[in-house]
Amino acid sequence: MVPTHDAFPPDRRRLETDLSKTVKELRDIKAALDEHSIVAITDDAGRITHVNEKFCAISQFSRDELLGRDHRIINSGHHPKEFFHHLWTTITAGQVWHGEIRNRAKDGSCYWVDTTIYPFLDEAGAPLQFIAIRTDITTRKANEEELQRVVAELAEKNKELEAIVYTVSHDLRSPLVNVQGFGKQLNRACDTIRAAMTAAGNGPVPAEPLRQPVDVAIPQALRFINAGVHKMEALLAGLLRYSRLGRVALSIRPLNVEGLIEDLVAAMRFQLDQAGGEVAVGPLPICQADHVQTGQVFANLLDNALKYRDPARPLRVTISGEIRGDQAIYLVRDNGVGISPEHQGKIFEIFHRLNPEDTPGEGLGLTIAQRVLERQRGKIWVESRLGEGSTFYVSLPALEHRS
Amino acid sequence: MTHAISPTILIVDDDEGHAILIRENLEAAGLPNPIRHFRDGQAILDFFAQEPLRGPQSFLILLDIRMPKVDGIEVLRRLKSDAELGRLPVIMLTTTDDTREVERCYQLGCNVYIQKPVDYERFAEAIRRLGLFVPLLLVPAVSAR
Repeated sequence: MVPTHDAFPPDRRRLETDLSKTVKELRDIKAALDEHSIVAITDDAGRITHVNEKFCAISQFSRDELLGRDHRIINSGHHPKEFFHHLWTTITAGQVWHGEIRNRAKDGSCYWVDTTIYPFLDEAGAPLQFIAIRTDITTRKANEEELQRVVAELAEKNKELEAIVYTVSHDLRSPLVNVQGFGKQLNRACDTIRAAMTAAGNGPVPAEPLRQPVDVAIPQALRFINAGVHKMEALLAGLLRYSRLGRVALSIRPLNVEGLIEDLVAAMRFQLDQAGGEVAVGPLPICQADHVQTGQVFANLLDNALKYRDPARPLRVTISGEIRGDQAIYLVRDNGVGISPEHQGKIFEIFHRLNPEDTPGEGLGLTIAQRVLERQRGKIWVESRLGEGSTFYVSLPALEHRS
Repeated sequence: MTHAISPTILIVDDDEGHAILIRENLEAAGLPNPIRHFRDGQAILDFFAQEPLRGPQSFLILLDIRMPKVDGIEVLRRLKSDAELGRLPVIMLTTTDDTREVERCYQLGCNVYIQKPVDYERFAEAIRRLGLFVPLLLVPAVSAR
């Protein structure tokens, strides 16, 4: 006897209940998945057969634009061919692929997705279709990149700081050697005087043995001790000035560098006339920078041009400018003594001075210029030929980009 | 010619105070050597360029590192790359204690590396001993260039 459905009504009802329970459960899970993830399903050839709302939202493509296409429609070109090759061989072999992909939305903007691709297999183990479940990690990626940039920047700053501490400690030690050494000389002079006094007993001390210590040794020692102390004081003051730079609040605004430099040249007119120097200021691009701090940079460059002019010819300074990409570049070119190749790397070092005997200064100008510019996303560098002159390049963010 | 000659001590230091201290302390320690002072690396190179070495004379060079124009390491490099000048004993005498700099100087062939401030008693003793060997390092006469 063939059993009829009616023969097992309670079982069939139970099956139907189970089925509808399972279907509801699956629908709930799908709804939850759609709520959380970017979901796409493709056939075994990778053609998109289903996308959820989140996929459309993040990719900016409509469902109609996506169905039937493959994922190349959102390829950003960021990953090498091997990356997708590996992905495809993994999932067509029936294995799960997991990774982070940078995709391109319809408007050209890029987004990062953390992706799991799960193959649905037939009984023989061949993929029937693939489901890709993705999470938007664009913000996390941006944060990671920012973090890496900051870490690199900090490492660079630490290196700079180490170099500064090293230089300063040795520059401080130099006057200290004098204070210490000439202090001992003072002791020695005291010994000589004491010996003369002891020899004289209670009688008058003869002048002769006192002459050398009193007329020569003591004044000399005091001169060097005082000079050493002043030197240390100046170094510490310079160091403080440098360190405080980092705390000065910047006011970044569109800056008319041409007007700024014309004002500086007018203020230096007297020194320039005395040196027979001329400054030609070409048309200069407008940049975005702090007026006061940038003014200091150019004032320092003009001051250096004056200081390191070649006495053999009248000083000529040409200031020109151009826009390269998003940077305004200013060239301050002089016909001064120039800087030898081995010194060009050192001129931005703290307290380094090219010619300490012939020119005044504390060896801070270019170090400070570099720091001031870095804080404004700018740069300074030099090209120079000994005996011909130097060109200092200053770059600052331009007001207008030129592609 | 192996009789001892007191080598002339050439102090190369941009700090006048340091140079005076070295000179006075060496004299106070009883070193009889003539002493000359050069204010930077360029000055000592000029000296050797203008006055070719003539025997019998010998020099002992006390060389600072941090100097404007040509620094001490560059002077050492140039001296040691010269067949004749390379035989002169060189004492690096400097405030720098950076191990990389010290190694660099020994690689370039300096004889002794001493850090300032100096214990002059021991320093004079070192020079005295080095001075004993100087006659062996006497530079041969060079024909006029």
